[in-house]
Amino acid sequence: MRWGVSAVKTYLIRRAIASVITFFAIITIVFLLARFTGDPLAELEDDPRMTPEVLATIKALFGLDKPLHIQYISFIENLFRGELGFSLHYMRPVAAVIAERLPYTLALLIPSITLSNYLAYKIGIECGWRRGSKFDIAMVTSSIFLRSVPYFWLAILFLYVFSVELGVTPLFGAMTPGNRPSLTWEWIADYLWHYALPFTVLVFRATIVRVLYIRNTLIDILGEDYITTAFAKGLPDKEVKYKHAARNALIPIITVLGLRYAYLIDGAILTETVFSYPGTGRLVYEAVVNRDYWLLQGVVVILASSVIVVNFVIDLIYSLLDPRVRYR
Amino acid sequence: MVSRLELSERMYTLRRSLNEFMFFLRHSRMTQVGIALLSAIVLMAVFADFIAPYDPYARVGNAMEPPSPEHPLGTNDMGQDILSELIYGARISLFVGFVAAISGTLIGTLVGIVAGYFGGVVDEVLMRITDIWLSMPMLLFTIFLASILTKLPSFTIMVSVILAIALTSWPGAARVVRSAVLGIKERPYIEAARAVGSSDARIMFRHILPNTVPILVVMVINRVAGAMLSEASLSFLGLGDPTAKSWGMIIHYAMIRNAVMLRMWWWFLPPGIMISITVLAVVLIGIGLEEYFNPRLRR
Repeated sequence: MRWGVSAVKTYLIRRAIASVITFFAIITIVFLLARFTGDPLAELEDDPRMTPEVLATIKALFGLDKPLHIQYISFIENLFRGELGFSLHYMRPVAAVIAERLPYTLALLIPSITLSNYLAYKIGIECGWRRGSKFDIAMVTSSIFLRSVPYFWLAILFLYVFSVELGVTPLFGAMTPGNRPSLTWEWIADYLWHYALPFTVLVFRATIVRVLYIRNTLIDILGEDYITTAFAKGLPDKEVKYKHAARNALIPIITVLGLRYAYLIDGAILTETVFSYPGTGRLVYEAVVNRDYWLLQGVVVILASSVIVVNFVIDLIYSLLDPRVRYR
Repeated sequence: MVSRLELSERMYTLRRSLNEFMFFLRHSRMTQVGIALLSAIVLMAVFADFIAPYDPYARVGNAMEPPSPEHPLGTNDMGQDILSELIYGARISLFVGFVAAISGTLIGTLVGIVAGYFGGVVDEVLMRITDIWLSMPMLLFTIFLASILTKLPSFTIMVSVILAIALTSWPGAARVVRSAVLGIKERPYIEAARAVGSSDARIMFRHILPNTVPILVVMVINRVAGAMLSEASLSFLGLGDPTAKSWGMIIHYAMIRNAVMLRMWWWFLPPGIMISITVLAVVLIGIGLEEYFNPRLRR
């Protein structure tokens, strides 16, 4: 495979440049939107206790008295220094608030994206292979039905049934109030107990939405000539299913993994809000409710950047899996 | 001006395609169910004044009453009748859903036509932007947009919500329209139009746009489902218009008043069921229309 290395390299360099462009495009959009729709200190300007002098000092402090392009440059400079502004609600730097919340969300997202894709793959392959069977029809119908159910309402339903009526899961939070994160079995058990319901909702929803896509991908693949050839060669069904069909269904699944991650972020915003789970998703809600625009902007920048990073990592995996990238 | 002959010809084609559609409809159970459900909800929204037992903004009972003959779904924390809220809520949810879906599709169509028609650098740049936008968490940006647009003094909350949904949901339409335009622009009559000296704008909007209408209809219908869910999510997060209670907004109020912990299922379950039924109806119609316009999908 030595001849393919340079092709992989150019592919990855191209993807890296594209990621950087995406990053700048996103932060530029965020910056322009935030600035053109009014000034971040508008809330303070309405405050009767504010004197013009104090306001001017605050403006100078945040560089808001400078022309737009200077503000833009310092916005980017600060970003690279890890400074995302100041949360007026928490009275702390935005970066610190997010850093505290991000682990909770990542601990939800990464396992749920893995498990939901695995489950959807298994179920989708089964549906596509036995197209028209009772199992297939049941899965397709429930997928269409559950897609129409609002995400947050599904979470509320889970909360109502499991936490309120059955009382088997906690009502809110990531740990029992008063507990501090520590590496004791007690704490881990408590954490997992709180983790179970939000995690289940995310996996359930992501799997259901995913099954149809994988099923249809497999059905397309089953119509390909190489499948006919495989059957004609007299290969056993099982071998055709797993070695020829299912394996090729894996590639389109990996290419859209980045989109799945973005979709799960949306899910986390709603799920964490319903379960009062202290992650970055819930932070979006808190920023909206408290009109904490700097915090909201910071969360948007961080989550969008995480999408870009995830996409790049997926391109990397993709270049290792799909030989067509190597020989291009 | 349209000549008489042309007009009668148009009427003829219209009637024929209508007949064809009715024939299709007779055989598509899913589309029938979708149309029936959606019509019922639209009728409910239109005749809310006659159907709803109370004014949804009036205090007509005690706070947080359980279901009773007077109030079939009880009352909320303000003593307002929840059933009436539900019936009137259809208006807001449908209105925001349809307007946002149509505006989003229009933006996408414009981007798609321009990119597909001009090609080259224009196409490259527009499609790169589309891809970037498409790869981002949509709800996160809808929330971000809605919360900063409401800051603008000239925008009401409802306009901000509609705009926020439209501005984040156009990339899908842009991609689909672009690929359709790439096929259409190679057809001989486009070349003929160019040969007689039609302007780019005329070719794009007079000759190409009408050919994308079937795709646009399917796009709008599919977008309505997404837009209604987005509206519900925004309202649930507290970004909705408090003076225009949509179904999402009712759930928002139920949540902040702890209806779930108080086991007041009659408060938070019905609005979610209404959203689900309406979205399902729209999705079923969308699947039907897609099959109608793309016969290869029919079984």
